[in-house]
Amino acid sequence: MEYLLVNFPRIRRVKVDDEFNGRTGEVIELEAGSHVVSLGPPANFTPDEQRIILKGTSELAPREISFDLHE
Amino acid sequence: MRSALTSTSNGGAPSRLRPARPARRLALGVFLAGCLLLAGCAHYVVNDPLPAVRSGPVYRFDEKETARNTNSLFICLVFSGGGTRAAALSYGVLEMLRETRIVWKGVEKSLLEEVDCISSISGGSFTAAYYGLFGERIFTDFRPRFLEVDVQDALIRRAVNPLNWFRLASPYFSRIDLAAEYYHEKVFEKRTFTDLARRGTRPFVILNATNLANGERFEFTQEQFDFLVSDLSTYPVARAVAASSAFPFLLSPLSLKNYPHPADFRLPADYEQGLLDYDTNRRRYYWARNRAMYRDDQDLPYLHLMDGGLSDNIGLRPLEAAWRRTSGFIRKLISDGAIEKFVIIVVNARPDSGETISKKESPPGLGVVAVKTATIAMDNYSFETIEVMKELRDMRERAQRNIAACRQRLAACPSAPPLPGFAADLDPYVIEVNFEAIPDPKRRKEFLEIPTSFTLTPEQVDRLIRIGPELLRAEPNFKELMESLKTP
Repeated sequence: MEYLLVNFPRIRRVKVDDEFNGRTGEVIELEAGSHVVSLGPPANFTPDEQRIILKGTSELAPREISFDLHE
Repeated sequence: MRSALTSTSNGGAPSRLRPARPARRLALGVFLAGCLLLAGCAHYVVNDPLPAVRSGPVYRFDEKETARNTNSLFICLVFSGGGTRAAALSYGVLEMLRETRIVWKGVEKSLLEEVDCISSISGGSFTAAYYGLFGERIFTDFRPRFLEVDVQDALIRRAVNPLNWFRLASPYFSRIDLAAEYYHEKVFEKRTFTDLARRGTRPFVILNATNLANGERFEFTQEQFDFLVSDLSTYPVARAVAASSAFPFLLSPLSLKNYPHPADFRLPADYEQGLLDYDTNRRRYYWARNRAMYRDDQDLPYLHLMDGGLSDNIGLRPLEAAWRRTSGFIRKLISDGAIEKFVIIVVNARPDSGETISKKESPPGLGVVAVKTATIAMDNYSFETIEVMKELRDMRERAQRNIAACRQRLAACPSAPPLPGFAADLDPYVIEVNFEAIPDPKRRKEFLEIPTSFTLTPEQVDRLIRIGPELLRAEPNFKELMESLKTP
């Protein structure tokens, strides 16, 4: 399995491939390969989504991506 | 017009055949017409297309938990193939789970009440579907209704009924349809997947068959039927069980229709992404590809399904997918930190009838070769499926241990930022009930040699039901689970 960490100033549900899978600030265990990552509502973040390829991560060195907050 | 039976010979001299009376001729004509009609009209039950507007319950996993069946203790059962042997063994395990009392989150209940999903193959599908439809009623009538019935004899009787010969002459009606009719009427009380969905309680039952075209595991869930633009809710449960247990050569394939896909049909995102993974994750790529192929409804307007054991004779693959995939119902709950204990109990009725081929100098006949060809590859592969699940379990436990160890070290450095971890730690168990675990070699051999058949003696059925709890109680991982569930 691979590992993802999504950074965002708030605790927010994370959408992976259109499905809720975990929250920001937590290590999310995912299958290797291509994924589309986004956040749950409200839609006050950018970018809208990020496309990543998860490969070669570990639980101690997860792939990190960030979303910006727009108040 | 004269029929052969009314013909005369020798210039009108009376033949040895008596002329048929008009009434008899009429009766014969009606009978023949009826038979032709039967043959012409006989058609398998076709799955319905998706309605424009869905109403009523849909057969999908429901994430909502209840006090009696929580997400935090998540139990999945897996019932392997193996005819009545598998059905009886899994029934015995259900009985034991009902008798096992636990206290979870302050509520006393049976372990059976916490079962969230059952994935099954072939013979195991009878027990799974029956429990899914009728709940604990299974403990009062499943034995006389199915386990102790000579099902093979009943199926043969239907096949030799002359009325059915004409139906079987139709290219759209075959032996599997006769078997499905029998299960529909005599075992499953004509229930459909609407009835299964309407219960609104877990377990979520996944009945598995195999698509002959691509060898893909085919599951009877709405998620799978969405790819056929078809509605599972009106489909008889008995037909899914029949497909799951359609052993090659003995039974014919069961057919389904793949409806035209609307112009706006979109693959779910998990599948779309999986199709990009040929280089990074071949396992996910083939999973996505095997379902995405149904979009090609012009080239693939029909599916023909056979025994689920051809693609996975244990029944674990759906759970592996539900654990790995981002759209998987288990993955989503794990990612949300909803599951604390995740328990998989595999009821593996694998036989070992002993090897006789190598005792003779002459090569085996066509029948033996055919059966071996149908089963040998899967028999070699089945234990690997269980090992894959154990590897997933070990990987998760190792990751949790590493994070915990790092956090412990970081605790000595107050200026270090906190180390992120999982939403919640998971306590996973993979438990297997298998005749191989019987300590006494003679007794083990007796169980391993019980044939794969839908006709067992009441004594064999009884022994199988009793061995399930015995094996489960002795299983080391189950003992560990029970120890962890003890109220402090």
